[in-house]
Amino acid sequence: MSNQKKRNFQIEAFKHRVVVDPKYADKTWQILERAIHQIYNQDASGLSFEELYRNAYNMVLHKFGEKLYSGFIATMTAHLKEKSKLIEAAQGGSFLEELNKKWNEHNKALEMIRDILMYMDRTYIESTKKTHVHPMGLNLWRDNVVHFPKIHTRLLNTLLDLVQKERTGEVIDRGLMRNVIKMFMDLGESVYQEDFEKPFLEASSEFYKVESQEFIESCDCGDYLKKAEKRLTEEIDRVAHYLDPKSEEKITSVVEKEMIANHMQRLVHMENSGLVNMLLNDKYEDLGRMYNLFRRVTNGLLTVRDVMTSHLREMGKQLVTDPEKSKDPVEYVQRLLDERDKYDKVINTAFGNDKTFQNALNSSFEYFINLNARSPEFISLFVDDKLRKGLKGITDVDVEVILDKVMMLFRYLQEKDVFEKYYKQHLAKRLLSGKTVSDDAERSLIVKLKTECGYQFTSKLEGMFTDMKTSEDTMRGFYGSHPELSEGPTLIVQVLTTGSWPTQPAVPCNLPAEVSVLCEKFRSYYLGTHTGRRLSWQTNMGTADIKAVFGKGQKHELNVSTFQMCVLMLFNNSDRLSYKEIEQATEIPAPDLKRCLQSLACVKGKNVIKKEPMSKDIGEEDSFFVNDKFTSKFYKVKIGTVVAQKETEPEKQETRQRVEEDRKPQIEAAIVRIMKSRKILDHNNIIAEVTKQLQPRFLANPTEIKKRIESLIERDFLERDSTDRKLYRYLA
Amino acid sequence: MTKGAEKKQRKAKAVAEKKETTTTTTTMRETVKLISMEGFEFVIDREAAMVSHTIRSMLTSPGGFSESKDGVVTFPDISTPILEKICQYFYWSLQYSRGKETEFHIEPELTLELMMAANYLHT
Repeated sequence: MSNQKKRNFQIEAFKHRVVVDPKYADKTWQILERAIHQIYNQDASGLSFEELYRNAYNMVLHKFGEKLYSGFIATMTAHLKEKSKLIEAAQGGSFLEELNKKWNEHNKALEMIRDILMYMDRTYIESTKKTHVHPMGLNLWRDNVVHFPKIHTRLLNTLLDLVQKERTGEVIDRGLMRNVIKMFMDLGESVYQEDFEKPFLEASSEFYKVESQEFIESCDCGDYLKKAEKRLTEEIDRVAHYLDPKSEEKITSVVEKEMIANHMQRLVHMENSGLVNMLLNDKYEDLGRMYNLFRRVTNGLLTVRDVMTSHLREMGKQLVTDPEKSKDPVEYVQRLLDERDKYDKVINTAFGNDKTFQNALNSSFEYFINLNARSPEFISLFVDDKLRKGLKGITDVDVEVILDKVMMLFRYLQEKDVFEKYYKQHLAKRLLSGKTVSDDAERSLIVKLKTECGYQFTSKLEGMFTDMKTSEDTMRGFYGSHPELSEGPTLIVQVLTTGSWPTQPAVPCNLPAEVSVLCEKFRSYYLGTHTGRRLSWQTNMGTADIKAVFGKGQKHELNVSTFQMCVLMLFNNSDRLSYKEIEQATEIPAPDLKRCLQSLACVKGKNVIKKEPMSKDIGEEDSFFVNDKFTSKFYKVKIGTVVAQKETEPEKQETRQRVEEDRKPQIEAAIVRIMKSRKILDHNNIIAEVTKQLQPRFLANPTEIKKRIESLIERDFLERDSTDRKLYRYLA
Repeated sequence: MTKGAEKKQRKAKAVAEKKETTTTTTTMRETVKLISMEGFEFVIDREAAMVSHTIRSMLTSPGGFSESKDGVVTFPDISTPILEKICQYFYWSLQYSRGKETEFHIEPELTLELMMAANYLHT
C-alpha cells in the first residue's frame, strides 16, 4: 500500500453512503420536520446543529432539494396558521403584545432554520432562482398573519387607535408601537406603505381637518398658530419615536395642508388678530411663528407678503395725504422714519431678514412717499431742522445713523432734483446765518449724496462751502490792508458765486451812510484783486448787530436783519416816523418792509419799536416810534431772523416751475446722448431709454420728452425718417 | 488503535498544542472542540474555527443549539486526517490574511475528500 502511495494515488472508495433507499429522503425529512417543530416550540436546546445541517446537506446533495424546500414551506405555513389563531384570540389590550411576541419568536426561529438550511439556500435556491429562506419566511408571515383578514383590519385599527389616543393626550406604549411598525418595515417597503402608512396618512388628514375647523372657529390667529406649531412638532416627534423616517415628510405635509394651507386666507385676514393686527402691535413672536409655518406651504409667504404690502401702502397713503400731518414737515418725516424703523425691526426679528420682504417694504415706501408731491421738500426741511438744532449733543455715531436713515428715505424719492433745489435753498440760509450745528455733519451728508447720485448732484453744494471759506480769507485780507477801519462798524462780507447759490433777485435797499461807505471800500478792494467780476449786494440776506440805549438807560445789543437795521438807523435822526417816510428812506419793497416792521413792532417781548395804532398788521397809515419802555432779561436780543419755512403757495409754484425749466435741458441732453450712439431709434424706444437714463434724478414725463424731441428736430439735431414717421435719425 | 492511528493522534495533539495558547480550560470564549468520525478531538481557537461559515453559524445561531452551548461540534462524516488538514487550513488562512503569505501544501490523495468536506463546511 505504501509503495502505491508513492507512485500514484488511488482514489479510495467513496466513503459516503450511496443512496439506494428511496425512503431515505422521507426519513431525513422527518428528522428535519421534527426539528423545525421543536424550534418553533422554543424547544431547540437539545438539538445538534451539525446533525440537522448534515441532513439538509445530504438531501440537497442527493437531489431532494425540491422536497426539502416545499416541506419547509408547508411546515412553516402550518405553524403560522396556528399562531395567527392564537393572536386573533387575544383580548383587547394584549392583542398587540401577543402579535409582537409571536413576531419576535418567529424571527428567531426563522434565523435558526435559515442557518440549518444554509446549504440549500446557497445551492439549490440559487440554481432554481426561488426565494431565499429568510425572505420566504417573512413573506409567509406576511401572508398568513398580517394579511389574515381578521388580524389585518384589527391590527390596523388598533394602531390607528393608539395614535389617536396619543394625539388626544394619552400616553401609549411607544416601544411596542415601534416594534410593530418595525415589523411592517421589515416585511418590505410596500407592505409598510400599503398596510400602514397610507391608512395612517388618511386618518391623520381626517383628524386634522376636523381639528383645524374646530380651532379656527374658536381661536384667534396667534393661538391657532401656536396650536398648529405644537401639532407639527408632535408629529415630527412621533415619527422619530416609532415611525419610518421617510414618513416624516409625508405626515408634516398633511398637517401643513390641513392646518395651514386650507385656512391661510382666513388666518391672515382674521379680524383683530390677523397679520395686520400683529404688525401694528409689534407681536414679534406671533409674526415669527406665522413666518415659519407659512414658509412650509406653497404661496404661504406670498400671501403674507401681499397682505403686508397692501397694508403698508394703505397706511403710507393715509400718512402722506393726511393734511394734519403735512402741517409740520419735521413731524411728517420723523413719522416716516419711525414707521420704517418699525417694519425693519419686524422683518429682522420675525421674518429672519428675508430679502423678499425687504424688497416689498422698499417698494411700498417708494410707492406712497411719491404720492405726496411735497415729500422732497419735507425731507429737506427735516434735514435742515436737524442740522440747525436737532443734532446738538448727539454723538458722532448717532449723527451718522440719523443721516443714513434720511438717505434711505431720499432713495425712495422719484423726484430727486426737486429735493436738490430745496436742499440748496435751505443750505444757503443755514450757511449765511451761521446756523449750522455741526460742520462735519453737513459735509458728511454731502458725501453721502455724492455717493448716491454722483458728482454732478453735489458740485454746486460743495461750491457753497468753498465760497464761505474763501470769503473768510478775503475778509482777513481786507482788514489786513485797511488797518484804519478797525475803528467804527465792522463789516463781514460773504462773496457768493452766482452759479452755486440759489438765485434771488437783488432787492433794492438804501443802506445807512456808515455802512455804505464801508461797502464801497470793500468793493474797490475786491475788484482790485479780482478784475472782470461784478459784485451785487444781497441786502435781503444779511444780518446786523446794533448797540441800542433805551429811555431808562438800558443798553442792549440787537441782532437784526439788514432791512431791520436800515429802519432802526433811521430813528437815530428822528423820534417818530410814518410808514411812508420809512418806505421812502429805505426803498425797501412793500412786502419785505411790512414783514420787517411787523417783527420789530408787533412781536411780544421784542418790540423795540412802538406802533400806532396798536393793531397786529402794518397799515400804510401807521406811524412808528422808539419804544423807550423796552426791557429784556438778556443783554443780547435777537429779533425775528428769517427761518426756513414751508413755502407759501405762490412760492411753491415758483419753485416747481423752476424745477420743470431745469429739467428741459437735461431731457434734451439725454436724448442727444442716446441718439448719438444709436443713430436711428423709434419713438417708444427713445422714451424708454430717456426715462431710464434720467431715473436717478426724476421721473420723466413722456409728453415732455416728446416736446423736447420736436424742439430738437426744429433745431436740426434730429430728423424724422421720411418713410416711417415713428423713426428718428441723428443728424451730425 | 493501529500504530499509524496512534501516531496520527499524537501528531494532531502536537499540532493543536503548537498553535493554541491555552489547553487547560476549554471555555466557550476561546476554544472549540471538533470531533472527527473516529472520535479524535481537535481543540482549536474559536477564531480559527470561525473561518468555516458553517461552524460559525453553528456557534452563533440563536436558539440554543447544543453546539453553541457546549462549544463542541461532532462531524460523523469527516475522517480524522481530513479534519486534521482542515484545522491546519484554518490557521494557515488566518496567517495569510494577516500578511504572512506562505504556501499550503495538500497531499494529493486527500484532495477529493478535502473538497467534499470543504463544501460541507462552506470554507
